[in-house]
Amino acid sequence: MIISICVGSSCHLKGARRVVEQLQPLIAQTDANIELGGCFCLNNCTEGVCVKLDGELFSLQPEDVQQFFETEILRRLSPT
Amino acid sequence: MISLCTDVGHLSLNKQGEKICGDHIEVVGQGESATTVVLADGLGSGVKAGILSTLTSKILSTLLANDMTIEDCVRTIASTLPVCKVRGFAYSTFTILRISEDLQAEIIQYDNPQVILLRDGKNHDYPTQSEKIDGKIIYKSRISLREDDTFVLMSDGAIHAGIGSALNFGWQREDIIHFLETVYNREFTAKTLSTMLVNECSTLYGGAPGDDTSICTVKIRRRQPLNLMIGPPANPVDVEKMMSLFFSKQGRHIVCGGTTSSLAAEHLGKPLDVSLPLYVDPEIPPTARLEGVDLVTEGVLTITRVLEYAKNYLTDNDSYTDWSYKKDGASLIARMLFEEATDINFFVGRAINPAHQNPNLPIGFSIKMHLIEELSDCLRTMGKRIKVSYF
Repeated sequence: MIISICVGSSCHLKGARRVVEQLQPLIAQTDANIELGGCFCLNNCTEGVCVKLDGELFSLQPEDVQQFFETEILRRLSPT
Repeated sequence: MISLCTDVGHLSLNKQGEKICGDHIEVVGQGESATTVVLADGLGSGVKAGILSTLTSKILSTLLANDMTIEDCVRTIASTLPVCKVRGFAYSTFTILRISEDLQAEIIQYDNPQVILLRDGKNHDYPTQSEKIDGKIIYKSRISLREDDTFVLMSDGAIHAGIGSALNFGWQREDIIHFLETVYNREFTAKTLSTMLVNECSTLYGGAPGDDTSICTVKIRRRQPLNLMIGPPANPVDVEKMMSLFFSKQGRHIVCGGTTSSLAAEHLGKPLDVSLPLYVDPEIPPTARLEGVDLVTEGVLTITRVLEYAKNYLTDNDSYTDWSYKKDGASLIARMLFEEATDINFFVGRAINPAHQNPNLPIGFSIKMHLIEELSDCLRTMGKRIKVSYF
């Protein structure tokens, strides 16, 4: 699984650093092979922090990270 | 032929309780190969000393830069300086360093501590001849210069540092030489070396200088070009033109801005590697790597910080302790712009990023344009040759 977080100016101001710092320990808890990286503008600057998860675009607020992790990342890791 | 130029950086401490420095440093032709520097120390301290030293250094540097002889200059000074009411005479010491196009240095010294010359980081004694002009003993020297030769000019506040408190007899010229030889690093700019020496004097004075203390360093260095690109062009048709021009330039290359670096990566046909973003400084977005580019950073926020550092560099230079070693984008750019480069080409794209035109975000278009203008002005004051091209 590949997760890219935009580190451009606009997303930075909306809290990209806090998203990265919250996701890191959450991902470390799982044993899954998840690649967390940065990227530049994903052309979706008007919303929250841009996050790309396996090609799919999301717009996050730093407060939503836990929920995003549970609903999107964990859901994809455990196909039922 | 190696193209050499001068790098001049100075800093003064005011005598405790004085708002105005009694020393004055005047530089003509900073950053060029022909440069004249005058350091003058006025009689007494405060406003009176400030006027004497400012007049002395202004008159001397202007006359010398226009090729007047030293004899005429000294006579002009003696007959024009206002006479001190208390002491009954006009007086300001001075040190003149004149460097010609063909890299010959002429030093003329009157009553200031003798100029220190560091060659390859070691003290280099140079011959001096004395001459009496208008009853004043003036010391003259001529030296052929080499790359990295570093002159340190100072007012007597430097050698008096610590008298009676930290040291019995103050800090002698030999001690200063020893200090300079110890801290010397080829990478240091003139301003950095001046700052280090002034800080050491301030420490010896216990933070309360007993006299105005000024240091002016003049370093002979090689010209070094650097190119910085920020922002995509206003018209997308010009992307290729902007990229080819930028990458055809000699010297180091810095690319600022997310979209701009993506375009650069496309032009070079190399991947843009942001990998796991490393937040060295929470306020500065992480840097990225791109083969063929020396440094890739975010745009406006990073440059805003660089501008803060540039303004500080021109005054107290106390944020040197931040940018001189940190690894965030702004510090890296600061080191490359302030320390390494002498000739800087800015490639500024005028595309408007609609997402940034939000009144709540401090990164709008006019802010970006203004940043580059201000930064160019600061760099010019540092003595660098600046060219800005807009696309």
